[in-house]
Amino acid sequence: MKSALAGLALLAALGLPFALSEFWIFIAIEVLAFALYAVSFNLLLGFGGMLSFGHAAFFGVGAYAVAILWKKAGLTMVLAFAAAPLVAALVAIVIGYLSVKRIGIYFAMLTFAFQMLLYTIALKAGWLTGGDDGITGLKPAGLLGDPVAYYFFALLLSAAAIYLIHRLVRSPFGYALQALKGNPARLQYVGVDVRRHRLATFVVAGAFAGLAGALFALSSGNVFPNWLNWTASATPIVMAVLGGIHSFLGPVVGAAVYVLLEVVISGKTEYWPLVMGCVILLLVLALPDGLSGLGQLLRRQFRGTGNG
Amino acid sequence: MAEPVLQVRGLSKQFGGLLALCDVNLQVERGEFRAIIGPNGAGKSTFFNTLSGWLKANAGRVLFEGRDITGHPPHRLTRGGIARTFQITSVFAGMSVLENVQVAILGYRGQTWRPWTPARTQHGELARELLERVGLAGEVGRQAGTLSHGDQKRLELAIALAGNPRLLLLDEPTAGMTARERLESIHLVHRIAGELGLTVVFTEHDMAVVFAVASHISVLHQGRLLAEGTPEAVRANPEVQQVYLGEAVIESEQRT
Repeated sequence: MKSALAGLALLAALGLPFALSEFWIFIAIEVLAFALYAVSFNLLLGFGGMLSFGHAAFFGVGAYAVAILWKKAGLTMVLAFAAAPLVAALVAIVIGYLSVKRIGIYFAMLTFAFQMLLYTIALKAGWLTGGDDGITGLKPAGLLGDPVAYYFFALLLSAAAIYLIHRLVRSPFGYALQALKGNPARLQYVGVDVRRHRLATFVVAGAFAGLAGALFALSSGNVFPNWLNWTASATPIVMAVLGGIHSFLGPVVGAAVYVLLEVVISGKTEYWPLVMGCVILLLVLALPDGLSGLGQLLRRQFRGTGNG
Repeated sequence: MAEPVLQVRGLSKQFGGLLALCDVNLQVERGEFRAIIGPNGAGKSTFFNTLSGWLKANAGRVLFEGRDITGHPPHRLTRGGIARTFQITSVFAGMSVLENVQVAILGYRGQTWRPWTPARTQHGELARELLERVGLAGEVGRQAGTLSHGDQKRLELAIALAGNPRLLLLDEPTAGMTARERLESIHLVHRIAGELGLTVVFTEHDMAVVFAVASHISVLHQGRLLAEGTPEAVRANPEVQQVYLGEAVIESEQRT
């Protein structure tokens, strides 16, 4: 049932660009990138029980990596793009090594601090990052310059990446992660090095966030320091919670709703963050399990009346 | 003569100014069912947690089958053949009973790095066998957190057995049970340990449980080893009687 739904969504996604204007194709690409970003974040929060408050570090590093390697270091675009998630993974190894020793709020604060460090570097190291102005002119040339082609490129990559994360969650690695979330002490006494397991999860999540960042950078054609700002770390948190952190595809739904709300509301009023905040507040209050909990709720209602 | 399974030499542990363990020496031979007893605050838990790598000792060595394992982190001890259970029942509450044992088997075998194969296809058969051994064959699909207290203890035993340990450390295995459950539970452990040829070290404060199964007893008092020997010898030891009976009288007075 669930995989049928996912298949149906994928089929719809394949036909989508032929029904949309160019503007909406770019929005669809944004949804794809942020869906991957939110799923990578939820690997940490929903499955590993680690609330990172600095996940934007990896989205931003992925974006800056493709920009710098392509525009400043002279690599080809394809190579720079392929390197972006690896650079994000390397940064995640360093930040993770120093952060996963702590748990709970201390872990959140450490990830937050490292992300702000990177934000400062992006702002101040102008020779490398372009400072305040960021790096622009990142539109791909050739085939990928076509929005529809880029859409399919993004669809292929984010769907494949989300599938990989799905396999990971269901694998022995994911079982151990689930066990770790609930009872790290017990897990140590079945022979698992809990810290290394946390670190590995952090690095995987970082690499996929980096891929999402690179995907989005080439679609929007630029990268700015505020992608590394702390508000950018709140985005995947809101998306994941909005969609439901206990469901694997919840963050995908959350990302789509978030991006669409932002587009629709910001077109209507300059106070869009206020309206957006209220809408999200209402949704979270009404649906504590996120939008993906809505289906379950309806099913239960339906069954309830059917029995009675 | 065969190597002792466990040798503890001069183990000491200090918390701030409090000396919780002082120069404890202990030797456990293969196949023993060793009880560590002592009045409240005697250092049983500290001893146990230091032994199992949860706490770091200030001084002393721990040898397992002749190899020095002092200061090894829990996951390394566990992979080396030592399993433990917890005083407060500790299972993976959100996962099914079967998944609990599966994840334990994967952990002991160092297979939790596999990122691709679905985990539910791994070691299901072996996990079922273990659950059958502890009497939980009928509960494989239940969410572990919804099991009764006694059944969670059984599950924890299955988790501990999943790694084919040679030494089993049980921290108050009957805590929180009724008197009848306690004896039933410890007899189950005793029977399984016999079948598998395990060496067991357990802490316990219920004397009925201790004398029902222990092959040897070590008595801790104020962080020191007070007495050691067969149940008969320990029972007859006047020092132990003094320490213990005094405590027992006080306890029974408090209960009434």
